[in-house]
Amino acid sequence: MSFRKTLLITAFVVLGGITLLHGALNLGWFAPRATTASGAARDKFRVGFLPVTCHLTCPVTDFINKQTTGGSNFDPVRFHGWPELKEAYLSGYTPVTFILAPMAIALREQGVPIKIVYLGHREGGDVMVHKDSGIYRTEDLRGKTVAVPGRYANHRLIFYRELKKAGMKLSDVNLVEMPPPDMPAALYSRSVDAITSGEPFPGQTEMDGYGRALYRVKEVWPGFISCVLAVHEDVIKNRRAEVQALVDGIAKSGKWLDANMTNRVDAAQFVSKFYYNQHPRLLEFVLSKPPDRVIYSNLKPLRANFEEIEQLAKEAGILQGTAHFDDYVDTSFAPEDDAVQPHPYATAQR
Amino acid sequence: MMEPGNVQRSTPNVQRSNAEGASSLDVGRWTLDVERSSERAAIFIRDVSLTFPGKRLGDEIAVLDHVSARVAKGEFVCLVGPSGCGKSTLLNIVGGFLTASSGEVLVEGQPVHGPDPRRIFVFQENGVFPWLNVRDNVGFGLRGKSKEEREKTIAHYIAMVGLTGFEDAYPRELSGGMRQRVEIARALAANPDIIYMDEPFGALDFITRLKMRADLVRIWQAEKKTILFVTHDIEEAVQLADRVLIMSKRPATIQQVVEIDLARPRDLDSPRYLEKRDEIFRIMGMSLRVGETLSV
Amino acid sequence: MPRPALRTAHATTLLSFALPVGVGVMFLLGWHAAVRISGSDLFPTPVEVGRGLLELARQGLLLKYVVASLFRVSWGFALAVAVGVPAGLLLGWYSRGFQAFNPMIQIFRPISPIAWIPVAILWFGVTDAAPIFLIFLASVFPITVSSIAAVQNMQPVYLRAAQNFGLSRGELFRQVILRASLPQIITGIRIALGVAWLVVVAAEMIAVNSGLGYLIIDARNAGKRYDLVVAGMVMIGVIGLVLDLLVRQLEKFDEVRWGYARR
Repeated sequence: MSFRKTLLITAFVVLGGITLLHGALNLGWFAPRATTASGAARDKFRVGFLPVTCHLTCPVTDFINKQTTGGSNFDPVRFHGWPELKEAYLSGYTPVTFILAPMAIALREQGVPIKIVYLGHREGGDVMVHKDSGIYRTEDLRGKTVAVPGRYANHRLIFYRELKKAGMKLSDVNLVEMPPPDMPAALYSRSVDAITSGEPFPGQTEMDGYGRALYRVKEVWPGFISCVLAVHEDVIKNRRAEVQALVDGIAKSGKWLDANMTNRVDAAQFVSKFYYNQHPRLLEFVLSKPPDRVIYSNLKPLRANFEEIEQLAKEAGILQGTAHFDDYVDTSFAPEDDAVQPHPYATAQR
Repeated sequence: MMEPGNVQRSTPNVQRSNAEGASSLDVGRWTLDVERSSERAAIFIRDVSLTFPGKRLGDEIAVLDHVSARVAKGEFVCLVGPSGCGKSTLLNIVGGFLTASSGEVLVEGQPVHGPDPRRIFVFQENGVFPWLNVRDNVGFGLRGKSKEEREKTIAHYIAMVGLTGFEDAYPRELSGGMRQRVEIARALAANPDIIYMDEPFGALDFITRLKMRADLVRIWQAEKKTILFVTHDIEEAVQLADRVLIMSKRPATIQQVVEIDLARPRDLDSPRYLEKRDEIFRIMGMSLRVGETLSV
Repeated sequence: MPRPALRTAHATTLLSFALPVGVGVMFLLGWHAAVRISGSDLFPTPVEVGRGLLELARQGLLLKYVVASLFRVSWGFALAVAVGVPAGLLLGWYSRGFQAFNPMIQIFRPISPIAWIPVAILWFGVTDAAPIFLIFLASVFPITVSSIAAVQNMQPVYLRAAQNFGLSRGELFRQVILRASLPQIITGIRIALGVAWLVVVAAEMIAVNSGLGYLIIDARNAGKRYDLVVAGMVMIGVIGLVLDLLVRQLEKFDEVRWGYARR
């Protein structure tokens, strides 16, 4: 066979074959499609999230929706890092997203049409040090290397606040930015002295026995907020009812998670398995030990909380202070906390 | 005929004559034989000069200095000269790959404007396409022909150069001599009027070279093409040519023309052969004894 | 070509197989020993990686991920060849075009595909098109540059022979310029395929939810599953080797074999 012929046939077979295989295995081209899904699927908005406990209500709501009504009113899209999640929002691919509160405010300052409509969680996250280290107080961190998730992470802010309380400056420690999934290994190998981020990564070091909490965020900042649910202004304008349904679902999921420990253990199972692809033991650990490590109630955005964040972030030099509560928050969707009822749902395997 | 020995450098102010190369031409002090020039010359080189720009601005290197020559139809002419004298350059001008600074070249009575499939070049560095097998190389110049005609022509010329049985071989599988045969077959298959050969056997070993020369003469006698053949090998020129044009050192001109009126096949031991060879050696200012140099 | 005696040929084949396998086995043993000696709890031994691979295979994920990565690399790379080779031939041939475009190519060429990730997401969202775009970008420049060089380094004698036979411009490109540059173009393509496959991890850092790069990133999210991280690395390496062996087969065709030095 000639060179040309071989090349053309090979290219054709490879491209065609791999496309069909990819379609069959990963895109579900040949799977029998549910009739309801096909028409409505295009119209549902995508919601961006990361596999962290701060965003837990996203998969929980999706799962409970699917279990109770056979379908969900949104498509959760999992990302691996903050930059990709933010860029997908900016491109319009995910018009609704779970996002760090200071990052949302910063985007607003830069003119992005984004509104915070609800909180993702309260509390959760720790500053972890190696159990064999001699670090017992914030002051012991002087000159040490501390991993933070990124510029706009609230865990960086709270760390800043603690330094301030101890009479220290950010320059007294050596801050490095690191994706949270890489933090446990970094602490294990002691290439950093302390890590701080949202769960489950600090919890993981504790579960595996080499991490010790210097403090938990809830101890130093009760009601601490890190991640919020943010929506594009066009979606708020044009699709109010759907946004309302989403917020209501998430609020109910939060209540459901906080209703009892059984629900939390169940959530750890199905979220690990179907959404986060983590070991269920890990999520179960951070959701139950202690049971209030992360809480999902009382998630209406409050002015006082955000003004404190704004103030701290401005001091820490990550926000300009040009956007304020009314610019970046839309409270009209958030139900009052006592009005929220948990999903009337219990998993089948009980 | 021309008298060897009394040809001198042509003067620059040559009179232009008409492009058809009519009955009588004055080329410097040459007076060409009326009978020969009345039939249209295959190649007519008139007063061709070539200069290259030098390394510094304004510098000019003269390569060819008012060269004039003439090749008759069906004639086998060799162009010899010291290495680097510009004989390949002259051939490239005649072939249309280079343009002269001044003067003109008429081929079949027409000025040369570029390469032309009616005149095929056989290259010193072997221009056989390594990505085609012998059959497709030989058939390269036959693109417009019907399939049967193509196949017939290809088979004919492959047989003529003695490569039958190697039709499907690729050039990398052939010896240097065989590759050169493929190139000659490719040139012949295109049925050109003229074949230009630029030291085609230069890279071959001595025995192969002798055999290739014999084959080339045999083919030329069968095909009756006009051949202009550049070589630095005086023996080769005397073995092959009807006439030998001897070029001088740079800036080159035609120093002398030697008629080789020996019957073919030529006997390389005959006194007439040796006489012709020695004459050319003498003209080129070389001694036949190793270790001695004649003054020119 | 002279052939060695049959028995020697046999021994040579055996040796050419045994040597790399031997080095591989030594590497695995060294790896195992290093993990054991250092007592690392996080870094997996080869056995654990093998078990991780088995687990993935049993779940059907291994095939899915390999297919997804190959799909993206195949398309990104095919597009790069379809654009890079003609562009390279044209720019190699027309020196004005080369003068005009070469600085731009040299500016784009050193930019890592990782730097393009934000652009890819902004333009293509989180679809298969984004990693395909990144793989395309990573491979199109090496292909174009090697094609340009191939044309520029072409032996002039082929060109002159072709001109002598009175080829039209189209014939000249298809029958001579392309054919004469093909061996070097294929070498460029081989290198570019390596680059394309190298980029798959970065390209799949975008929130696509399949592929070997995704496997690695996902395993990092999954807590202490470094066995799966290394499993992803092993698969990428092994498939890269297979792809290279396949492209090398192209070099054996008579149409291009002349361009490679005989050893």
